[in-house]
Amino acid sequence: MRSVLAACIVLLAGTSGAAAQPPARADAASHVGKAVRLMQDRLFSDAAGEFEQALAIDPDNDPVRIEYATCLFAQERNDEARKQFEIERQRLGEWPGLNYYLGRLDLRANDFTSAIKRLAPLESNPALSNVSLYLGLAYLSAGQQARALECLERAARNNPRDPEVHYRLARVYSMAGRAGDANREYKLYRDGRESQRIAEQNVRECLEALSKQPLAQARMVCQRIADPNDPQRLTLLGQLYSESGAFSDAVEPLQQAVKLQPESFEAWQSLGLCLFRLRRYQEALPPLRKAVGLNPQYFGALTLLASTLHALGDDAAALPVLEQAHNLNPDDAQVTLRLEQLRAASKGKR
Amino acid sequence: MTRRDMLWLLAAGVPGARAQQPSGMASRGIGPQPRGKPSGLPFHARFTDVAAQAGLRAPVIYGPDGRVDYILESMGCGVAFLDYDNDGWLDLFVLSGTRREGPVAGATNRLYKNNRDGTFTDVTERAGLTRQDWACGVTIGDYNNDGFDDIFISQWGQNALYRNNGDGTFTDVTREAGLLHEGTRWGTGCTWVDYNRDGLLDLFIAHYVVFDFQSIQATGQNPNCSFRGVPVYCGPRSLQPERCLLYRNNGDGTFTDVTRSAGIDRAAPTFGLTAMAADYLGSGWQDIYVASDSTPSLLFRNQQDGSFAEQGLELGLAVNEDGTEQAGMGLAVGDFDTDGALDLLKTHFSEDTAVLYRNVGRGGFEDVTMRSGLGVETRYVSWGAGIQDFDNDGLPDLFWATGGIYPEVEKAHPDYPFKTPRVLFRNLGNGKFEELTAAAGPAISEAHSSRGVAFGDFDNDGDMDILIMNVNEPPSLLRNDVSGGGHWLKVKLLGTKSNRSAIGATVIAAYGGRRQAQAVTAQSSYLSVNDPRLHFGLGAAQSADLEILWPSGLRESVRAVSADRLVTIREGAGVVKAESFPAPRQGR
Repeated sequence: MRSVLAACIVLLAGTSGAAAQPPARADAASHVGKAVRLMQDRLFSDAAGEFEQALAIDPDNDPVRIEYATCLFAQERNDEARKQFEIERQRLGEWPGLNYYLGRLDLRANDFTSAIKRLAPLESNPALSNVSLYLGLAYLSAGQQARALECLERAARNNPRDPEVHYRLARVYSMAGRAGDANREYKLYRDGRESQRIAEQNVRECLEALSKQPLAQARMVCQRIADPNDPQRLTLLGQLYSESGAFSDAVEPLQQAVKLQPESFEAWQSLGLCLFRLRRYQEALPPLRKAVGLNPQYFGALTLLASTLHALGDDAAALPVLEQAHNLNPDDAQVTLRLEQLRAASKGKR
Repeated sequence: MTRRDMLWLLAAGVPGARAQQPSGMASRGIGPQPRGKPSGLPFHARFTDVAAQAGLRAPVIYGPDGRVDYILESMGCGVAFLDYDNDGWLDLFVLSGTRREGPVAGATNRLYKNNRDGTFTDVTERAGLTRQDWACGVTIGDYNNDGFDDIFISQWGQNALYRNNGDGTFTDVTREAGLLHEGTRWGTGCTWVDYNRDGLLDLFIAHYVVFDFQSIQATGQNPNCSFRGVPVYCGPRSLQPERCLLYRNNGDGTFTDVTRSAGIDRAAPTFGLTAMAADYLGSGWQDIYVASDSTPSLLFRNQQDGSFAEQGLELGLAVNEDGTEQAGMGLAVGDFDTDGALDLLKTHFSEDTAVLYRNVGRGGFEDVTMRSGLGVETRYVSWGAGIQDFDNDGLPDLFWATGGIYPEVEKAHPDYPFKTPRVLFRNLGNGKFEELTAAAGPAISEAHSSRGVAFGDFDNDGDMDILIMNVNEPPSLLRNDVSGGGHWLKVKLLGTKSNRSAIGATVIAAYGGRRQAQAVTAQSSYLSVNDPRLHFGLGAAQSADLEILWPSGLRESVRAVSADRLVTIREGAGVVKAESFPAPRQGR
């Protein structure tokens, strides 16, 4: 779901002014900054309130409205979410990301015909890898079992690691009396859940090892998490190393992760962070730019990018980025101080 | 899953779920669906809590008041409707816990004898049932087929079997029956079940977690165990789950542990709570469903050869429709769509819905929660539940009790209260339900932290009343006063070849174009026991045809049974007694 949102935001990022903003928009940005941080902590209700305040100040900000709508969607405030997505659809036209959410809202509202109409054209969109699942559920609920099966089978091929897909498919096979196929899918479901369980156990043990054992030993424990074909696990491994200060160890899995999942904000941001902490500023720059491009409202990525630019001696480029970060979180004393220093230095140069 | 997600789960000690509460309980983390327009239809049941005037004034002690240090102190216990003296009036059995610091004066399991005038007398001591322990579940049934219902209690520690002596007293026969186990275990769900069709009630027991006060960290000792930032006790997912047990009744007052030979031990250990046995699949053999907390729920399917195969997943009863396990607490069986097949209801943690499973025959069960309208209620931690026709309109309604588990959290977050109201959904008859509050009487909106619930007609006035266990408060007794003129029929079964209590029998009542199935259970709701007399609301119909599938396998039909009476049916002999209840007393 996050990737769908990211796709929407990336497309819109260029349309929203960033650095030098009038005071009202700066106020709006500060609400958005708060909202994004609240979203990160899953405090969706509070985040929605911040988005509402931002939109009251800056009602034409499409990326913010989409974030707000997604926040409402996450809380199952379906009617409110639909209203916001519809506003954007009228403003921006038939965007795949918007139709994806509207289709899922149709599904939640038991309007299966509309859900099918919206979701069916999106199946071929590579950024929307789980459309087949929801389309399959819409067909199933509409009583079109053959089409539902086709979609769910495609969903299982597209997302073979998702236990939900296998469970849904197994249930449809069971209902259709196809015991052999059902048993195969139940097994894949069980395997998927077991794999998740083992992965979580591995993470627990890795965390324990990183906190209590020498890095060489911890590495052996943590390597169990690595899966060269799973960008999320690679990102996780990189972040675990990073959190424990093993930045060198973190770089390789994160580099693999961004190759596999180039729309992952988390992976780019983490890679940039590690390279920054290793003082490999030049190398840190592209990942951080990518991260900020994917999520221009994330305070942490902006400050990191500004710091990297500053470390490279490019204060002219750092200043607008830090301005943008400050707008998102004007209460951060350290950023405010740095910003004043940069502004002063900038004036001095002129 | 991002690292933040993962760490969030790990902080909770929670493996595997997509959305979890940071306390070690599974929850989807969803909010309520919007409520539609009220139907405007009248609801003819009205509930009033008459516990105090009925004489139920002793609080049910369960852990400290105002805080919970350990998971054991939060789970509460069951209650039962039974007729221990065979006088035709329901008596009450209310379990009790204790406190870790030491015995509490007056805390005991309590037997209340029905005085037949709306009041009860506490006969616990006279009956020989005084006991203060961490009691959890209860199952009632005549295990020795002597004509009197016996009581089995599951506990943390050792379980207890009380044989009914038939003279108003009971004898603890746990040891002689061979039901003592090694070490300390936390028995929760328990149910009598004749799994091998020999006419004797066998005994199934579920367990929750491996627990002792010494090795488990108390609230505040583990920084990873918190709820909304408030330190709380560690939830089950940080603890070790346990397997279930099955004892075969030897017919001589003793039992043999057949867990292994019956295949019960092949199921993965879970955090088992309520256990409910019935013929869910219409095979004529008893299956056992176990609500499991934060782990897949279990459906032990009877293989008809003395063994079971756990097939919860294959029958659609283990997880929700997303494939995610839920925090299974309470269970109810009934037939909400009146198609003659038994459906199931299971209750869960807050920020999740209860789940309603519709029996679809060959494919097992289908999760119809959202389409039936239950998605509007996700606010409360939900416990004992029932599928019962409260207003006698011929359509079974849904009820469950609720109650928080973290009294500490309320102080920091008033929006997470410890005491919460009851939930009642009326059946609209089109596969959909509508939640009612004020329309169902004052007792529905009263807030308590409740656990076990039993459904029965304690005042013999032709409707279903409700007994509820409240943590560290007296129980609630919700008297139902039905208006509207809907007809009803009660069915009491007496087994002959089957166990005498007829536990496991299914009755299908055909009336007004509907076919409603009900099962005689020995445990349901949350660790509780309902009135063994099945109650069918009939609406406008003045008679019903009955089809009985006895646990022995015998099918028996009884045609055109007149409404508004209790009929007693003896296995193989049809109706042997029909009783009209006295008119409701004046002054209500």
